[in-house]
Amino acid sequence: MSRGRYRTGRPWLRLLVATVVVLVVLGPVVWLASLSFKPPEEWLAGRPTIIPRDPTATNYLVLFAPGLPGGAIGEALRAAQPVNRALINSLLVAPISTLLSVAIGFLGAYGVSRFRVGGNFLPFSVLATRMFPPIAFAVPLLVYYRTLGLIDTRLGLILMYTASTLAFSLWLLKGFIDGVPRHIEEAALLDGASHWRVLFTITLPLVRGGLAATALFVFIMNWTEFLFALIFTSRTAVTVPVQLSQYVGTVGRFYGPQAALGMVASLPVLVAGYAIQRFLVRAFTFGLVK
Amino acid sequence: MSEHEVLIRLERVSKVFDDGTVAVKELDLDIEEGAFVCLLGPSGCGKTTTLRMIAGLEHPTTGEIYLRGERITHWPPQRRKAGMVFQSYALFEHMTVHDNLAFGLKARRVPRRQVRERVRSMARQLELDDVLRVRASRVDLSTMQRVAVGRTLLAEPDVLLLDEPLNNFQAGLREQMRVQLKSWQYQFGRTMVYVTHDQEEAMTLGDRIVVMRDGQVEQIGEPAEVYRYPTTLFVAGFIGLPPMNFLPARFDASAGRLTMAGAGVEVDASSLRLDRALEEMVVGVRPGHLSPAEEEGADGRPRIRGRVELVRPTAAKTILDVKAEGGQTVRALVPSPFSTAPGDPITLAFEPRHLVVFDPSTKRRIS
Repeated sequence: MSRGRYRTGRPWLRLLVATVVVLVVLGPVVWLASLSFKPPEEWLAGRPTIIPRDPTATNYLVLFAPGLPGGAIGEALRAAQPVNRALINSLLVAPISTLLSVAIGFLGAYGVSRFRVGGNFLPFSVLATRMFPPIAFAVPLLVYYRTLGLIDTRLGLILMYTASTLAFSLWLLKGFIDGVPRHIEEAALLDGASHWRVLFTITLPLVRGGLAATALFVFIMNWTEFLFALIFTSRTAVTVPVQLSQYVGTVGRFYGPQAALGMVASLPVLVAGYAIQRFLVRAFTFGLVK
Repeated sequence: MSEHEVLIRLERVSKVFDDGTVAVKELDLDIEEGAFVCLLGPSGCGKTTTLRMIAGLEHPTTGEIYLRGERITHWPPQRRKAGMVFQSYALFEHMTVHDNLAFGLKARRVPRRQVRERVRSMARQLELDDVLRVRASRVDLSTMQRVAVGRTLLAEPDVLLLDEPLNNFQAGLREQMRVQLKSWQYQFGRTMVYVTHDQEEAMTLGDRIVVMRDGQVEQIGEPAEVYRYPTTLFVAGFIGLPPMNFLPARFDASAGRLTMAGAGVEVDASSLRLDRALEEMVVGVRPGHLSPAEEEGADGRPRIRGRVELVRPTAAKTILDVKAEGGQTVRALVPSPFSTAPGDPITLAFEPRHLVVFDPSTKRRIS
């Protein structure tokens, strides 16, 4: 397809549209970045500036060592928990549960797509777990978790996230696996390959773009999940989103540290997204495989 | 081993799909070692399902399949030595041509050194040396086909199953690929089962043709035999282009003559070698067996008189649609060039021995 075909209109009009789009999309990000370097006086300044008048790294410092900086922020957040633990928790919980969710989802999707495992009932019932507001599960699960000793543990969160994103993994991957021509797998079977060999040497490589897209999607969900983390953790297993909420507490609103943590929290997603970018392109061109 | 040993036998094989569709009904078929068998029929006649059951990709609902006398009905595809070339070629697009060819050998745990040698030798035979390192999704159609055939042959199958492998080719290339396929059969000496809906392809390629319809075999035979002596009206109409003319006829037992009122012609029944004499019959005559003649002739051949309705010249032959005096339109295939125009009177003569007679109620041949 020729790209030029869609280039219509005058150059200045295109520039205008592009500018508006960039402002709308990147505006909040720029705002967040700017805020994260501002001292308390500028957080709520009547005439905010994009470049901080008096840039400071205190907001970042206070995240990792709450008692270290002096001044109003250091004083107020002296008792706050350092962000290190939340970061480590999130960096363990989100990737591990993503991996589990995608792995289980892939095998499940393969069974559903190729062998019609569970007929129509199984894929639908997996999806049905997402048809209730998550909060509806909170109280019963709290009871389960207490009995099992999973409250405020990483394992508890990993199980929770794996289960709650499985529906997405399964359904997204089912779509990608459905798109792999059956004949290709049959040809491999006739060539003497076992089902497992076909799965790992034929199907898996052919849907790896879809796997990457699904993994990124699930990772973002897990990385940003707030409700369950808030309910099921208290101290040991808190994650970044929960930590983030602590900066808007009873002692005041700490927009600066919050923005700083927001910036830090977006890094892993950016890195993950960038790392799998080339697979994503494959996912979107997957329709060309016939 | 004798040339006519039965390699694969299908015994009363039926396939009913989950949705209730009956794809194949009580099919009996023997495939002899070394034969090139064409399964021919309109789409949906069960020919591909039959092929897939031989491959083990589908299992019969009832009936049995034997390979050299051993029952393999429920064997998985990996256990059978059947190779299949799919209509889409089903190449492993994420692999190079080399890895496509090597896949089956690796899956069967052939030692690495041997894999390399055998892939190389196959690549040489199929002229794939230059593209071995190219991704399978990047090569052109005819190369894809060679890769698909090579990949299948490397597994040393007892039987090579081909599912309309020439469908993606345009006419000119198709003819070339037919020649190619036929020569591969001699070169590699494999038993081949070939599915097609193209009767010309079946006629040129097959040693034997299995004409199928609605999941059942209509006729099995050599191409010339199927063409000359179709056992049913369906086969008669399906094989041959343009299709056979069917003339409704009445038999006058006392005079021993068969009258085709629509075509305005009658023939002596004794020349037809009828199995049975029925009051109503259908007489089939190939367009190629109708030849232009003088209006009256001493040769004694029956004649159809009428007017030309339509003239369609092709390179070697011209197709004439002729409205006979009796009102029926018959089609004749005459050598080109043939100068005539719609509306011209014409007389077509034929030899009674070329006629095929069918029973209109059973639709089977009775001559």
